[in-house]
Amino acid sequence: MTNKYYEFFCPVKVIAGKAALEHIPYELSGLGAQRPMIITDKGVRAAGLLEPVVAACEESDLEIVCIYDDVPPDSSTGVVRDIAKVYRSEKCDSIIAVGGGSAIDTAKAVNILVSEGGDDISEYAGAGVLKRALKPFFVVPTTAGTGSEVTAVAVIADTEKSVKLPFTSSFLLPNAAIIDPRMTLTLPPHITAATAMDAMTHATEAFTCMAKNPLSDAYATAAVKKISSSLLSVMDNPKDADGRLELAQASTMAGIAFSNSMVGLVHALGHATGAICHLPHGLCMSLYLPYVLEYNLESIRAPLSDLLLYLEGPEAYAATPANRRAEASIAAIRRLRDALYKHCKLPRTLKETGKVDESQLDAIAALALDDGSIMFNPREASLEDAQAILRKAWA
Amino acid sequence: MLARRMQPMAFQARRLYVELMFQVMGNALQAISEIDSTVREEAKSLPEGFLFEMMVMPNGAKLIIEHLGEGRFRYHRGQAPRPVDLSIKFKHIAHAFLVLSFQEKTSVAFANDRMLVDGDISYAIRMTRVLNRLEAFILPRLIAERAIKEYPKNLHLPEKVLNAARIYLKVATQFVETVVA
Repeated sequence: MTNKYYEFFCPVKVIAGKAALEHIPYELSGLGAQRPMIITDKGVRAAGLLEPVVAACEESDLEIVCIYDDVPPDSSTGVVRDIAKVYRSEKCDSIIAVGGGSAIDTAKAVNILVSEGGDDISEYAGAGVLKRALKPFFVVPTTAGTGSEVTAVAVIADTEKSVKLPFTSSFLLPNAAIIDPRMTLTLPPHITAATAMDAMTHATEAFTCMAKNPLSDAYATAAVKKISSSLLSVMDNPKDADGRLELAQASTMAGIAFSNSMVGLVHALGHATGAICHLPHGLCMSLYLPYVLEYNLESIRAPLSDLLLYLEGPEAYAATPANRRAEASIAAIRRLRDALYKHCKLPRTLKETGKVDESQLDAIAALALDDGSIMFNPREASLEDAQAILRKAWA
Repeated sequence: MLARRMQPMAFQARRLYVELMFQVMGNALQAISEIDSTVREEAKSLPEGFLFEMMVMPNGAKLIIEHLGEGRFRYHRGQAPRPVDLSIKFKHIAHAFLVLSFQEKTSVAFANDRMLVDGDISYAIRMTRVLNRLEAFILPRLIAERAIKEYPKNLHLPEKVLNAARIYLKVATQFVETVVA
């Protein structure tokens, strides 16, 4: 008997498509919630993305009790405590996160405090600390990349101790993720490109790393297909609502895939680069993806070959000899990166970012080796391996 | 019928095997930290007094290691002297047996959700590398390849045999000292 074993879990109700926001009042009432709080950031508010959410609720006589719009890009324990205080003083009974990764992670952490009590979120850090369901919680993503709306993880910085606190529990998952194309229509081109490549990396690593399983494979391949077929058309026509919806759905599907089968060395290097050089996460993913696939090639030849079908379509797949399909998949990802560079100058190498110094590569490599994602990479990367990949990604 | 009668004995044998392997690994971790500079280099960044535990949920066998500083470990028999800083928990003794009998690699066990990490994940990754290096030394290559993700390319036979002999000698000495004490 084989030792093969896997787990798959995603209880998030996905509400996607035209007028999806207008389902929020009905869904909240189904959970007995009447006094929601919105957690978001200044950028989302300035972009006018709150109006359709608020209007959708007010039109159904659901009052948004308060809006906290000051979530910083790297949220902290202090911010979580402040928002929880507002939630309690306004007697809210549910949370709607509107935004990207930071707003969503912050809302997850706030939900812990307002459901479990207390003011110190660090008491709940770690895996499996939460033992019961939290308050009703909805997520409206405004980027198409992080997949945070379907992941059971939040990371919050403890600025006093200078550490990042991880929170892991299936109770952090929202009750519903609302995917409405209106929320991503105005994303600038370089953010559209970087976040889509983030989703592409989630799907690719989920499909090629050690914890892959049949269910996450289905989500990962569907996500890769949607991104491959829609990203460049959205870059050409940013107001293409159908294309935007495809990318948003792909992000959620990639999120479901990687939250069940984890990611690998691209993420380990990306997290380290983000920490040292402060590059956006999606950009780091786009930078490292082909180089890590080349490094892992002989361990992932079979799944990477299969991925060509979803990257390039059935004709290209059939026309490529079986023993060249894995290399063709990497070439397809490189072509996509080249096209994005042409569109919006999304960097393809560390040098092109202009924000990384070659002298930082060794520090990035050392930090990447201690990242949790490296555990699921199919090859055991040594310091020398990581340094070699970084040198290739340099220029 | 016979199989049903044998089952309690099989469970008991499995429990004893896991307990014995934890003891061997605990002593061997202490030994390798005394003789291998690569392991000491890995362990150096752990805080002094750092307590690492591997255990079987809910209250099964466990091994507890303390970092004494400078990359050196001490194996604690019995209970931890204070709350541990990092715990890798097997969800069931059957999962611990799969890993400790080299039917499932440690990395595959993580991927298969056989284990939970309670504590700083970066320290867990570091300790996993230490465990991998230990297994590469003390197990025959064919078995080590079943236990770790990739057998180290730069580990050659003379170094492996010499270090394995030193580790086993230290482990045997520690066992004898435990029995005498």
